Amino acid sequence: MKKLFALAMAMIMALSMVSFAAAEDTTLTIVAWDVNTTGYLTAQKEAYEASHPGVKIEYIDVSSQDYDVKVGAMLAAGDTSDIFMIKTVPGLMNWNDAGYAMSLNDYIAASNYLSGFVGMETNYNYNGEQVALPFRSDFWVLFYNKTLFDNAGVAYPTNDMTWEEYKEKAIAMSGNGVYGAHNHTWLSACVNWAVCDGVNTLIDGEYSDLAYFYQLVQDLEDAGACMPYTEITASGLHYSGAFGNGNIAMLPMGYWYVATLINNIKSGDYNVSDWGIAAVPHKEDVKAGSTFGNLTGAMINKKAKNPDAAWDYISWLCSEEGSKVTAGTGNRPAWVSEGVADVMSSVDGFPQDENSKAALLPSYVAIEIPGDPNASAISSILGEEHSAIMTREISIEEGIEEMNDRVQELLAK
Amino acid sequence: MAQNAPAASVRPPKHRMGRLERKNTLVALSFIAPNFIGFAIFTLIPVVMSVVMSFMDSKTGAIFGAEWVGFANYQDIFNVAKVSSKMADGGFLAGLSYFFNRVDLGIALKNTVFYTIVTVPLTLMCSIILALVLNRAVKGAVAFRAILFFPYVASMVAICVCWNFMLMKDGPINQILMSLGSDFNKSWTADSTMAMWAIILVSVWRSMGYYMVIYLAALQGVPRELYEAATVDGANKWQQFWSVTLPQLRPTTFFASIMLIIGCFKIYDTVAIMTGGGPGRATKMLVTYIYDTAFMQFKYGTASAIAMVLLVIVLLVTVIQFSMEKKFAND
Amino acid sequence: MSEYKLKSVRRDNKALQRVNKALIYIALVALSIFTLIPFVWMLSSSLKLDREVFAFPMRWIPETFHWENYIVIWTKVPMLTFFKNTAIVALSVTLIQTLTSSFAAYAFAKLRFRGRDTLFLCYIATIAVPWQTYMIPQFVEMRAFGLYDNLQSIMVLQAFSAFGVFLMRQFYQGIPTELCEAARIDGLSEYGIWARIMLPLSKAAIATLVIFTFVGTWNDYMGPMIYLSHDSVKTVQVGLRRFIQENSSDYHLIMAASMVSLIPVSIVFLCLQKYFIEGIATSGLKG
Repeated sequence: MKKLFALAMAMIMALSMVSFAAAEDTTLTIVAWDVNTTGYLTAQKEAYEASHPGVKIEYIDVSSQDYDVKVGAMLAAGDTSDIFMIKTVPGLMNWNDAGYAMSLNDYIAASNYLSGFVGMETNYNYNGEQVALPFRSDFWVLFYNKTLFDNAGVAYPTNDMTWEEYKEKAIAMSGNGVYGAHNHTWLSACVNWAVCDGVNTLIDGEYSDLAYFYQLVQDLEDAGACMPYTEITASGLHYSGAFGNGNIAMLPMGYWYVATLINNIKSGDYNVSDWGIAAVPHKEDVKAGSTFGNLTGAMINKKAKNPDAAWDYISWLCSEEGSKVTAGTGNRPAWVSEGVADVMSSVDGFPQDENSKAALLPSYVAIEIPGDPNASAISSILGEEHSAIMTREISIEEGIEEMNDRVQELLAK
Repeated sequence: MAQNAPAASVRPPKHRMGRLERKNTLVALSFIAPNFIGFAIFTLIPVVMSVVMSFMDSKTGAIFGAEWVGFANYQDIFNVAKVSSKMADGGFLAGLSYFFNRVDLGIALKNTVFYTIVTVPLTLMCSIILALVLNRAVKGAVAFRAILFFPYVASMVAICVCWNFMLMKDGPINQILMSLGSDFNKSWTADSTMAMWAIILVSVWRSMGYYMVIYLAALQGVPRELYEAATVDGANKWQQFWSVTLPQLRPTTFFASIMLIIGCFKIYDTVAIMTGGGPGRATKMLVTYIYDTAFMQFKYGTASAIAMVLLVIVLLVTVIQFSMEKKFAND
Repeated sequence: MSEYKLKSVRRDNKALQRVNKALIYIALVALSIFTLIPFVWMLSSSLKLDREVFAFPMRWIPETFHWENYIVIWTKVPMLTFFKNTAIVALSVTLIQTLTSSFAAYAFAKLRFRGRDTLFLCYIATIAVPWQTYMIPQFVEMRAFGLYDNLQSIMVLQAFSAFGVFLMRQFYQGIPTELCEAARIDGLSEYGIWARIMLPLSKAAIATLVIFTFVGTWNDYMGPMIYLSHDSVKTVQVGLRRFIQENSSDYHLIMAASMVSLIPVSIVFLCLQKYFIEGIATSGLKG
């Protein structure tokens, strides 16, 4: 009897200690990808923990390649992590459809919060429900290797260059093992530029505007001015390694590459020393400085253990304070003010010329692929035809006809 | 070592059968239970759930709260509307050709069946030949055996990356082939025809050593006396192979071919890493199609329906093989 | 005359045999080279810098040998933990799988009972279903059992596969039923027959199954990817993906870690391979 009593006491004490500890410390669980190498995640965690004593942040690391798959499975199984980072808009749409995302409307109404996003948050708004907020926005810019341009005596790319000028420059820069350009294998790096006019989208079932860009990339390949698609895919060459090799003059790529580039140059892994960024080229009839981009955001799990604390974290992430932290790691926050822009250009290792700084302010940012119930199905169709065109198994015209036919068939269902 | 029918040759009288059978059943169940309980919980029940899911509109992979849609998923993957309208317009063949050339499921089926039909016999042939060669007193047989088995133990990620590089334009394989007079110099995975052969090559390369080892084990079981008897009858090596070795290896071949066929129908890793199903849809397989539908488009119901097509095909093939095996064994 | 002819035929035969043997050796060596080439490339890539891995024209021997890659893999990510976890999972799965499936297979092969064929059909049918389709329902179940993010999830996932039962049953069917009958007459129970007769006779099949299971578990990617979230429980194949990031990739480290992860599976194979040959040969079973 005594023993039993002692045991019961011990259990009560243990339990009360647990609850006592819980009252003191909130642990926010955040599901994200590439936690150890994505600089901003660590910086955000440290900054938030420093200014919010009593809150601990714990990341769950998911491989970036399988992020949507794994998170989908976690949510389906009733995971209770508080915050999920959003990698793709279709991913968020599906999780929201399935009822996993908490509506942020009430929170936002209470804090009158949305002004700093200049409309970008609408990509996460479905049927009037704001189900996530973006904290990072990556538009595409043109990276170039200044050393190569200096050696060749060719003028640097400018912020108002057209695609024809890009092609000429790329061809002029090529030879002796140097490629003038590297349009990576993705559909987005080859032809997504067609959406920069603000009229075209990738979900409308009409793709004749992509022809111009397919022709451009194939011309570059034929002129030996960029590595052929077939070689890049077969070797699994990563664009960062390609540019890091130091034999590529111009690389159109998302802004996220800035942080990687700076880090790898610092650590000596890259053969690149002097580089700059310019706005992506534009078509004659499109405003200079137009580009496209996508968002990274955060949503609150409906089954979150600490929804209020989670909201506090997200609202901090998307505030001036949080955005400065994100900007300080070489990333572009979604919520931008002048103060934030200053932080972006003063990052150690960021090119200090005026053109590169000016390229931080695009004139127009289209969304890469809008949120739409068909977006992911269309993406796979476009991806399949893209690979057929780029391997030249079919002609550009045939490929675009296939895209039109197949997507229209899908839309008609 | 013939396939023995499990029935005991001497049967007990009829009236005792009931009790004996009951006892037998209990003993048998006690043998099966440890494996079956785990199997039922972690495999069988989820499989049944996915059968149910193929009739539902499930965006999350859960059947709770999903909507029952009957055969809609099946109509969707077979594109019944379009195929039947083609059939109405241009006859049965026109519809069929539309299905196999335009509809995702048709293309994936065509590719998977082609891949299986080529890979299975090729692998079996290679592994039997290797086993026969290494079964003889060849010096260094142990070393060769280990080397040939090696691909089987490697993880696919690293290996497929290597092979892609081997099969590149100007890569070592193309250079060897060109020196032998071929005029093909393109990355294999970027060519609609060769991409499939690249996957077949890697599959055979990977599994022939494994089945070689299985055959080696089986060859040990072939009684020497049978060969001696065949020699006395004046059979040459070739005749011995046909009349003794091959029939004796039949149970192994049966097992190996079932495993290979099922494995081929379920191919995923190699395709995902090497070609991603491309170029175009040239190497789109059933499981890559399932994966895309479930995890890229979050249509779990539809994905389950595709899986059921796969299941039915493989079951049919397996049942046919089993019944043929039974017929052979009884002959 | 006929004797003379016979002699010459024999001499021809000998010469032919020698040529044959030489040809066989050449073929075997060529085949071995073909088999090993990707591994050589892996090894050479594991000693390069990342940007050299896919540099063209390819170099089989790296300019400088970067042995430090083999150190970096242990420090950059908790590779040792990954290896330990993988070893625990692979060993326990192999043990459970081999034991339970040989047990069940004995019943399927040598015992007669009602519902046997139906039960066996269940096993066969599930072999045919790709795991990707029932992964989600299975995941929901695992979570309900509290196995999510726990090494035990991978254990139960792999340990009761239908394949093992199928393989062992096929093998047991090849063992003459008369042996069991004789043992029954001698008064051995069914369990005794399994332990004293079947198990010793099935070394080759067990070796095959052990290798299959061990290699399969060791190299499994999707299962651990879905079920394991924290670094402390991750396995090698999931850990390898740490070197492929969204914005960068370290193929040299992937190759180095892959080389290291080849070692345990190779050891298992080398230890077991003699059983393939001994297994049946020494059993005194000659049809």
